[in-house]
Amino acid sequence: MNLSLHPLILLLVFPGGLFLMNIGLMYEWADRKLVARFQSRVGPRWFQPFADTVKLLAKEEIIPNGVHKIMFQALPIIALTGALTAALYIPMFGFEAAFSFEGDLIVSLYMLSMMTLSIGMAGANTLSRFTIIGATRALTQMFSYEAPFLLALLGPAIAAGTWNIGKINTFAGENIWLILAQPIGFIIAVVGLMGKLELPPFDSPEAETEIVAGALTEYSGRGLALFHIGKNVELVIGLTLVVIFYLGGIANPIEFILKSAGLFLVVSALQSMFARLRIDQTVGLWWRLGALMGLLQLLAIIFGRYLGEILR
Amino acid sequence: MTEGKKEKFIVPIGPQHPALKEPGNFEFTVDGEIVTDAAVRLGFVHRGIEKACETRNYTQDLYLLERVCGICSHVHATAFVLGVEKLAGVQAPPRAEAIRVLAAELERIHSHLLWFGVAAHEAGFDTLFMYTWRDREVVMDILETLSGSRVHYSVNVLGGVKIDIDQKLSDLIKKDMDFLEERTEHYMKVVTTDETFLGRTRGIGTLSRDRAKLLGAVGPTARASGVKRDIRVNAPYSGYKEFPVKMVIDQTGDLEARFVVRLKELYESYRLIKVILEKIQPGDIVTRIKRKIPEGEVISRVEAPRGELFYYIKSNGTEMPDRVKVRTPSLCNWGTITDVAVGHKLADMPMLLAGIDPCFSCNDRMVEIRSDSQPSQIMDWDGLRKYGIEYYK
Repeated sequence: MNLSLHPLILLLVFPGGLFLMNIGLMYEWADRKLVARFQSRVGPRWFQPFADTVKLLAKEEIIPNGVHKIMFQALPIIALTGALTAALYIPMFGFEAAFSFEGDLIVSLYMLSMMTLSIGMAGANTLSRFTIIGATRALTQMFSYEAPFLLALLGPAIAAGTWNIGKINTFAGENIWLILAQPIGFIIAVVGLMGKLELPPFDSPEAETEIVAGALTEYSGRGLALFHIGKNVELVIGLTLVVIFYLGGIANPIEFILKSAGLFLVVSALQSMFARLRIDQTVGLWWRLGALMGLLQLLAIIFGRYLGEILR
Repeated sequence: MTEGKKEKFIVPIGPQHPALKEPGNFEFTVDGEIVTDAAVRLGFVHRGIEKACETRNYTQDLYLLERVCGICSHVHATAFVLGVEKLAGVQAPPRAEAIRVLAAELERIHSHLLWFGVAAHEAGFDTLFMYTWRDREVVMDILETLSGSRVHYSVNVLGGVKIDIDQKLSDLIKKDMDFLEERTEHYMKVVTTDETFLGRTRGIGTLSRDRAKLLGAVGPTARASGVKRDIRVNAPYSGYKEFPVKMVIDQTGDLEARFVVRLKELYESYRLIKVILEKIQPGDIVTRIKRKIPEGEVISRVEAPRGELFYYIKSNGTEMPDRVKVRTPSLCNWGTITDVAVGHKLADMPMLLAGIDPCFSCNDRMVEIRSDSQPSQIMDWDGLRKYGIEYYK
């Protein structure tokens, strides 16, 4: 589909800005509801995340003693901006990406990492002992999932021969679903996404039974709300990326909704199936298993392409 | 980070913390993620129940002591009732003793399932938590049908029990026990085969047999370390003489063993309840007992879901006891936590805490330490009030 919209609308309303934030809240609801049903609970009503966010935004923001005030207030905004900017390069909802150039895959992945970096810095900025441990864990986790996740997304990019997300989308739509050609890459991408979003069982950076709320313990009101919205936007982007790369791309809104919902079911089921991993177990899993498998997969793809060239 | 002197990084858990539903304070000194020192501080919910017992008569005390614990209310009443009956020289009828055991085992099931859920939650396994608590409702419903209350069943009276079971109720309980047995088998499979869960329990917090003995561990915590300590077997009381139980022992002593021991105890409870319902004899459920209890003192021990519960009762021949001393099982097990905590990861601490199935409110006691340099102070009410206002100014 090819729509030409005014750049300002692209940035502020669709697909950037308002639309993304709202669909992020819908995603959060879907996630909470699905996990609740898996756990034989009732789960929240559809407007619960909206109500939570509105309430948080309206509340007073308490700035604790001993923090760098400007940084404390700027970090949530930076995190949200990073996530929203990343979305501009991704073909959302079946429409073409707002902006694109050769290599936008790397830029959007960097933008997505802003979130974790901001959370880490926010944790280190406050004096609370829980936030410092939370920040350490968040950054440790980032160093462990980032490489395998990147490798998993590079597989389809190499197969398509381009670093442009839009072009990979077209490539994925024209060929067989890459989940069949690169199953290992798909698993690593999904699990890496869960690590990135700190979803259970990779939620040790915010393990409530150990360190209360991790790095965000001291955040309240507006800052907390912005971090939450940012995380939801990241959830939307992450799922869309995996759908584009491994589930045959998205050509129209219906395909987008169906494929995202399918992937969502898998992610929610994975969330409710395991006990929380300790941070050392997470790191071990990623570096001993994830990174190695990702590398093997990548080598296989490169070798396959090379072989294809020779045979041709 | 600091040059020269090394600063301690202490992570406080409690008295208000999401991991603990009751107040207790734990300070873990950590080096990165590794715990290097652990300390426990208790006493946030001291309620003065022992003292209050001395100003009420024996019947009133029974209701007061049931409220020592919100999970194991029945065993507290049983321990007290058995002690008082011994002092008065009264023997409860066999049917009453059987019903006491029945209620105690139902309580053990509900307590163990509750613990199981909490422990799963501490491990971040919320699905297991929700499932166990859903199944726990089955036994809670039985207790409600049996006695009219979910938590404080008030089954005991001095000289017997106040509830009776009929054929209909008996059939219902048997059916529910079969259902719970099936569910427990499933949980046993999860606990012993789930990779992520085993990663959090196997080899964590291993307490050797000698250490367990030295630290005076009781209940499932001790039995998981291979210490043969179960009052129901070692010194059978009440209906356990007629309906014996098998002791569940494991040798490993780690968290996994504690899970396995508690789940196996659930099987034993299901079996015992079914046996009691089969073999219970018709008859009276209560005998008369005098209001004034003859002078004397007695020690009464029962096996609570968490371990040995100890009551000392002293009577001076009036309607009110002279002294009631309660020692709950959680108090005996605290030492094991500080002992095994060092060297583990911070992430293991909530699991270790949950591993002994702690119950905070029941173990808080006042201890007076006498020393020559600091003479003990006696304050009247007004003085205490003024001191309190000054202290928190």
